[in-house]
Amino acid sequence: MIRFENVSKRFGTHQVLDDVSLTVPKGRILFIIGTSGAGKSVLVKHLVGLIRPDSGRIFLDDLEVTQLSEKALYPVRKRCAMVFQHSTLFDSMTLAENVALPLLKHRKLDPETADAEALRRLAQVHMEASARRYPADIGDGLRKRVAIARALTLEPEYVIFDEPTTGLDPVAAANVDQLIRSLSADFGVTSIVVSHDLRSIFKVADRVAMLYQGKVLLDGPPSAFRSTTDPVVRQFIEGRPEGPMRFPRARGS
Amino acid sequence: MGLLIAFRDALGLFFATWRWTFRGSLFRQRKVFLRQLHDIGNRSVLFITVTLGVLGVISVFQVLLQVERILPEFSVVGPAFIQTMVREFAPTITGLMIATRVGSGIAAELGSMVVTEQVDALRLCNADPVDYLVAPRFWACVLHTVLLTVYGGVVGVCCGAVVAHEVWEIPWTSFFSLRLVELSDAASGLMKATAYGMAIPIAAAQAGLETTGGSEGVGIATTRAVVNASFAVVVLDFLLSGLSFLLWFQGR
Repeated sequence: MIRFENVSKRFGTHQVLDDVSLTVPKGRILFIIGTSGAGKSVLVKHLVGLIRPDSGRIFLDDLEVTQLSEKALYPVRKRCAMVFQHSTLFDSMTLAENVALPLLKHRKLDPETADAEALRRLAQVHMEASARRYPADIGDGLRKRVAIARALTLEPEYVIFDEPTTGLDPVAAANVDQLIRSLSADFGVTSIVVSHDLRSIFKVADRVAMLYQGKVLLDGPPSAFRSTTDPVVRQFIEGRPEGPMRFPRARGS
Repeated sequence: MGLLIAFRDALGLFFATWRWTFRGSLFRQRKVFLRQLHDIGNRSVLFITVTLGVLGVISVFQVLLQVERILPEFSVVGPAFIQTMVREFAPTITGLMIATRVGSGIAAELGSMVVTEQVDALRLCNADPVDYLVAPRFWACVLHTVLLTVYGGVVGVCCGAVVAHEVWEIPWTSFFSLRLVELSDAASGLMKATAYGMAIPIAAAQAGLETTGGSEGVGIATTRAVVNASFAVVVLDFLLSGLSFLLWFQGR
């Protein structure tokens, strides 16, 4: 189970998260939605210690990760993988080396075994033919596939997907949706998905939480999200430029 | 206060780099290290050649103009110029040039990795950014700052000698005399080059790793890296010149 308890975070004068509390039961999929700059990515990065909260607590099962040292976070990061918004493959490494890195560092495998495992993982996302190429040699969509392979290579119990379908063609996006669903259904993986993709939300999510002005505006099943009468949520679902929604200021402005 | 915090953070990064070096960072990151050797060293050769060459020409020309007015005796100009080049010009001018070219490059590269979340991804893979990113650049910069200092010194002296010989007809053997250069001069020059080679990548990497925001943040980090690295070279030059004077040059 993942639990955020009264988490607040401020950057300069901008209050990004204001007393946010959310719970994701084991094996379930929570979609976090909201306008750009609403603090969705900031919230999920707290879970793996990439950002520390100003106040509040974060739990992974019964383990409080809020103030763990960088070293104490290593086992947490082994259990909880993250697929970043920009793929974040390392330019100086081949695709196979990128996927093998967590195996080398977390599991201390020897390079040959890690490479063989990386090739197997790449084959699962149909990228084995490009294993010896560099990230700069392939397109955004393919990079995202490799990033997903790298995140799943340690068989994590928890996965954070930060806008996993952005930049993907519809078929590739549907594959990612299917993968997220299958991780939950077949392997009991708990997932948090940051997304704007309403099609994915209604197809994959067990719960949906909407962040607005640093707070949780809505937290419930997709059906509640679909039938809500809240004018801000309705404006978001319907994608209307006019409405009550106020957009966040750029950071530092 | 901000300066003190920056200095403390830079020291922390410096010691972390040594710690990872002792844990075999260079062997693990040998591919990155070799690429950095090429980027920092080979690609700086032309830049250093032109800068130190022009400096040699202009310095010798100006000095000879003045010496000609005061005493028409040129035999000391070459040896004194070589001594100054070894002690001061070669390491410091090379250091300043590397601070601009290499410092900006390191900060821009690391800053881009920060804003595209590659550094976060490294941390999630249990890979320390100092081990993977800073240590290879640090040692490539140390090695090449020393080598380029020696190379730049030779270029500067040779270019100065050409002016002395062609314009004032000073014999080659008179200009190239090493009679004023002692081992302590070379030690002082190499000590400075090594110190600059360590300070530049640390100042640049720190600026890069502290990047916030998007491309604007990378630009700010790059500027800060060049300013901090150049400032570090100037301050170290002052401190190490004083130290050299106390250790070796006093009473000479």
